[in-house]
Order: sequence, then C-alpha cells, then structure tokens
Amino acid sequence: MISGDVTRSIAQSHLHCGREPSRCPGGVATPSASQARERSTGVAAFTFHLSLITNHLPLLPTQFCLSAMTTAGTKIIEARGVKKSFGDVVALHGCDLEVLEGECIGLLGPNGAGKSTFIGCLYGVVDRTGGELLVFGLDPANDARAIKGRIGVVPQENALDEALTVLENMQLYARFVGLARRTAAQRIDELLTHMALEHKRDAPIRSLSGGMKRRLAFVRALLVDPELLILDEPTTGLDPTVRHLIWERVLGYRDEGKTVLVTTHYMHEAELLCNRIVILDNGRVISMGSPRELIDEHAPGFVGYFPLETEQRLRAHLSSNWTTFEQGRQFCIRTPNFEDLTELQKATGINAVQLRPASLEDVYLKLTGHRLDENE
Amino acid sequence: MPLSTTFRLAWHVAVRNWVVYRKDFIANISPTLADPALILASLGMGLSPFIGRIGGHSYAQFLAPGLVATTALFTAFFECSYGFYIRMTFESVFKAMLTTSIGVVDIVVGEFIWLGIRAGLMATGVALVLLVIGLVPNPLGAFFFPVIGALLALPCGAIGLLSSAWVRNINQFQSVYSFLIAPIFYLSGVFFPLSNNSWLGVAVQFSPFYHGVRLLQMSSWGEWNGTELVFHLVALIAFTLALGWLALGQIRKKLIL
Repeated sequence: MISGDVTRSIAQSHLHCGREPSRCPGGVATPSASQARERSTGVAAFTFHLSLITNHLPLLPTQFCLSAMTTAGTKIIEARGVKKSFGDVVALHGCDLEVLEGECIGLLGPNGAGKSTFIGCLYGVVDRTGGELLVFGLDPANDARAIKGRIGVVPQENALDEALTVLENMQLYARFVGLARRTAAQRIDELLTHMALEHKRDAPIRSLSGGMKRRLAFVRALLVDPELLILDEPTTGLDPTVRHLIWERVLGYRDEGKTVLVTTHYMHEAELLCNRIVILDNGRVISMGSPRELIDEHAPGFVGYFPLETEQRLRAHLSSNWTTFEQGRQFCIRTPNFEDLTELQKATGINAVQLRPASLEDVYLKLTGHRLDENE
Repeated sequence: MPLSTTFRLAWHVAVRNWVVYRKDFIANISPTLADPALILASLGMGLSPFIGRIGGHSYAQFLAPGLVATTALFTAFFECSYGFYIRMTFESVFKAMLTTSIGVVDIVVGEFIWLGIRAGLMATGVALVLLVIGLVPNPLGAFFFPVIGALLALPCGAIGLLSSAWVRNINQFQSVYSFLIAPIFYLSGVFFPLSNNSWLGVAVQFSPFYHGVRLLQMSSWGEWNGTELVFHLVALIAFTLALGWLALGQIRKKLIL
C-alpha cells in the first residue's frame, strides 16, 4: 500500500500546486481544504502520509520552473515522422517528439508500443527507416559516435559483464568512454557511493541482487557525465526501497539540469519524475502533455473504488457526467468533484475501498488499456 | 570517422576479452594446447615408425607445423563462434558497449585484434613445445609461427563470426563444425601431402586454412620458395579482408536492428 499512498499524496499535492502554485511553498506540506475534508470524512483508506508528502514536496517547485523553461530551452531531441519497420512489421509509424534541455520526458505505452525501438533510434542501435531525427543537432544515422559520447543509457536488461566484478566492470566502461585512469577511479568511487554500492566494489556481478545490478547500470551510465540520460524501464522488477532510491537520484539529475528520457510502466513513477509525458501506442504518439494536462484532458476528477457486489446499489445514485469502469474486481466511479464521492458514500451507506484523485494510470488505461490482445 | 579512434576503441574491446580470458586462464588454454599435443603423441609418435619419410621428414616432423595451424584454426573458430555468440546473445556484452562511443566496426576490429593476439600466443606455445621435442627441422623458422598463426586465425575467425551471424541458436554451431571446420581441418594437408593436380589439391586453395598450413610447413622445414610464399601470404590477406568485410556486414545486421 505504501506505493499507493504515495501516488495519492503526490497526485494530491501536485494537483494543488498545479492550480495554485502560490499555495505550495517549497518544503512545507500545507494541508489543503480537500485534504482536511477527507480526514473529517473519516474514511480509513484515505489516511495521508504526511512524511511521504514532505519527502517529495521540495521537488515540486523545481518541476514548475522546468516546465516553464521548456518554452525557451535548447532542443536535445528533434524527431519528425520517425519510422521503423522490421520487414512487414511496423514498429514506429512516424513519431514526432521534441525534447528540450532540462526536461524529463516519460515515454509510456504498452509492451510492443515502440518505446525501446524509438530509444534505439536515438543512439543508432536501431536504424530508422524513415523520418528525421536529430539528437544534439546530430543525426544518429551518421554521427552515432558523437551522440553516444554525450549520453548515458540504462538499457532494459542491465547488460553488465557477468564475468567481471563490480569494479572491473566500471573500469572497463571508464576506458570505453575515454576517462583517464585517475579521473575514472575517482568518479567510480563517487558514483558507487552515490548509488550505495561502495561495499560491493569487489563482488562479482553474478552475486549481486537485481536492485544492485540496476544501480550499477546507473553508475555505468553516469560515468560519462551525460547531458542526456536515457532510462529504459529503470525500476521494473525492483523493490520499493530501491525504486525510491532510483527516483531520488533521477530527480537529482533533473535538478542538475540534465535531460532525462525515461520509459516506464509505472504511472506513479512517470507522474513523479516527468514534467512531460508521451504516450505511445502501436508505434504512434497518441497523447502528449504534462501529467496534469493529460489527467485534466482525459480523466479529470476523483476515483472511488467500491466492492464489486455493491455495483447495483451504487448505480441507482450515479450522475450522467460520472464515468464507471471495472478494475481489479472493483467497481470504480470517476466523478468531477471529491464531494460527489463522499456524498455517494453517505447516501448509499457504502464505504469505498479507496478514494483518490484521478491519476496518470487512469489516463493510460483509458487511452491504451482496451486492446490487451493486440499488443500481447 | 578517424581510423585512430577505431583502433583505440577496438583495443578496449580486445582488452575486455583479455580481462575476462585471464580469469579462467588454465581452462581457456587447455583445449588449444592439449589437443595438438594429443594428436602429435598419438598420430605423430604412434604412426611415425610405420610411415616412410615424407619429403625427407619423419611423419612427426611432417605433422608438426600443421598442428600450429590447427591450434590457430580452433582458437579462431571457437572464439568467434561459441565465444562471440555467447558475448552477443547471452551476455549482452555488445549491447552495453554500443551505448558508449563504440560502434559495430570497433567491436569487430577489436575481436580480430584479440583473436590475432590470442592465436599468436597459442602458436608461440605450440612452437616452443615442438622446438623442445625437436620436431622443427628449421628452428629459425619457428620465429614466424606466431605471425603466421595470427594471420591464419583472422580469416578462420571471420568464418566463425559469419556463422555466429547465421546460426539461429547455439546448437547449430555443431553443424558448422562438422560440415565446414572439420573437413577443413582433416583435408587441408595437415595429415597428408596434397598434390596440386588432385581435385582436393585444387579445392583447398579456396580455404584460408590451407594457405596458413603451407606457410607454416615452409618455415618449419626451411623450404622457402619466393613465389609460393607470396602467393600464400596474399591469399591469406585477401581471405582476411574479404571474409572480414562479409562478417562485419552480417554482424552489423545482428547488432543494429
């Protein structure tokens, strides 16, 4: 539930900041009117974890600065109609995307949507079959080497050299990226400490846990001090502690002004890290915007989860502008206002399993979740 | 793309292989040194008494230079088939390299540098053993073994890389071994002298291995013939360039989607 609570609290604070930035002083969690209401309703599921909010809140004002900056920054990635087909199979139908310096872009989409293919095009491990693509103003089809010298990639599979130890792996990569021996030693030390791996320096890769390998893949990507950091599903399969550590670090790079491109299946992650979200489906960009914009556009409001067996009783009280759907064997109702849900509870005497602000997950499921069979 | 950058990066690729190789040094050098020693003991020593002299040499002396070639061939083939394939698919070594400034050309050149060095060292090892047993009639010729071994390993390695690009799973290397490498090994004049007039004598001209075997035999026996020397050298270099270029194209298709 921790992760769910964070989602809720972040989405909530984000929401208010988004609407009224002045009410969102850095580092102080101001309980908002609706939060106070929520507590007074006494819905157990809606306990707010203030500590979690305060952990993340200081980052939010920066988020605004960055989104404001995006109107004037340097273009790091410019993609126009980027296409890729493998024989008859079309992986990318023509992707348009601009990424500006300092942005953190989240690439979301079902498995097979073309996220990794697009990322591959960026540094020349996938030859695009059409469209224009510039990274740092260079075309990866001709200048992959120059581009790759300025980026750090955490690939989906860690691709660490299993035959070597942690330190040997990093020393080897330091050579690859052209770091002088002494600079390399210092940088490896710093980054291992930064990723809480300093005690594993001499451990063979195969003795590391999944989370450690992932963190080491980050260390490797950061050796070159990249201007653009590409993260392909950085936290898939990791436990919450490691995930939080990684988020913390990514937010750190963002604050340093690095540009980050991240693909993920965790909507909460995207909402937390990214100032702009691109949703890919079937090789096409189907939606783009800040998490807030996407939510407001596609799934605004609040969602209540009710036990499935209460569906009939609840249906009698629904308004025409509410949306209903079934998820995880629960009957869900999305309403424009939070009061709609609390009043529904009072009127029916049915307590919701969970009440929360609409999130990016609702947007994602609405836009892509309808055709599981086609993508699998 | 400056050539010096390619060589610098390719060198790092070679170093990577060395760092991994030395971790299991004994296991790694065993087959390449033990196999020729066994062949020499069983066939060379065992058959010598029953076989007359071939071109003035005992059978063991006849066999000796071919075993240097065999070492280079097997080093090259196994390193570039199983070894390379495992690095490419199971270990994702190149996937990670390709996120750095290293490109496919650097990887392939690096593999060749590593192979050349490794085959050269192996040839040196075998040469020393042969010298000690006294199976090199022209001991000075043994100085050329490492160079010829390395030169011979390159086109054979390219064949390994090509098969790495073509096989659909690791088991299929067995077919490549049985139908390509083993015939090359058994039929290229290592075990019996070939006449230029026989059909086999003509066929082996198309195998880089044969040219390496001839060069090694010439230096081992001290039977230098300028024209033949140049012919075999040019053939080896031509095979290296042609097969290497083909291999580069096929490996690129595997690494770049």
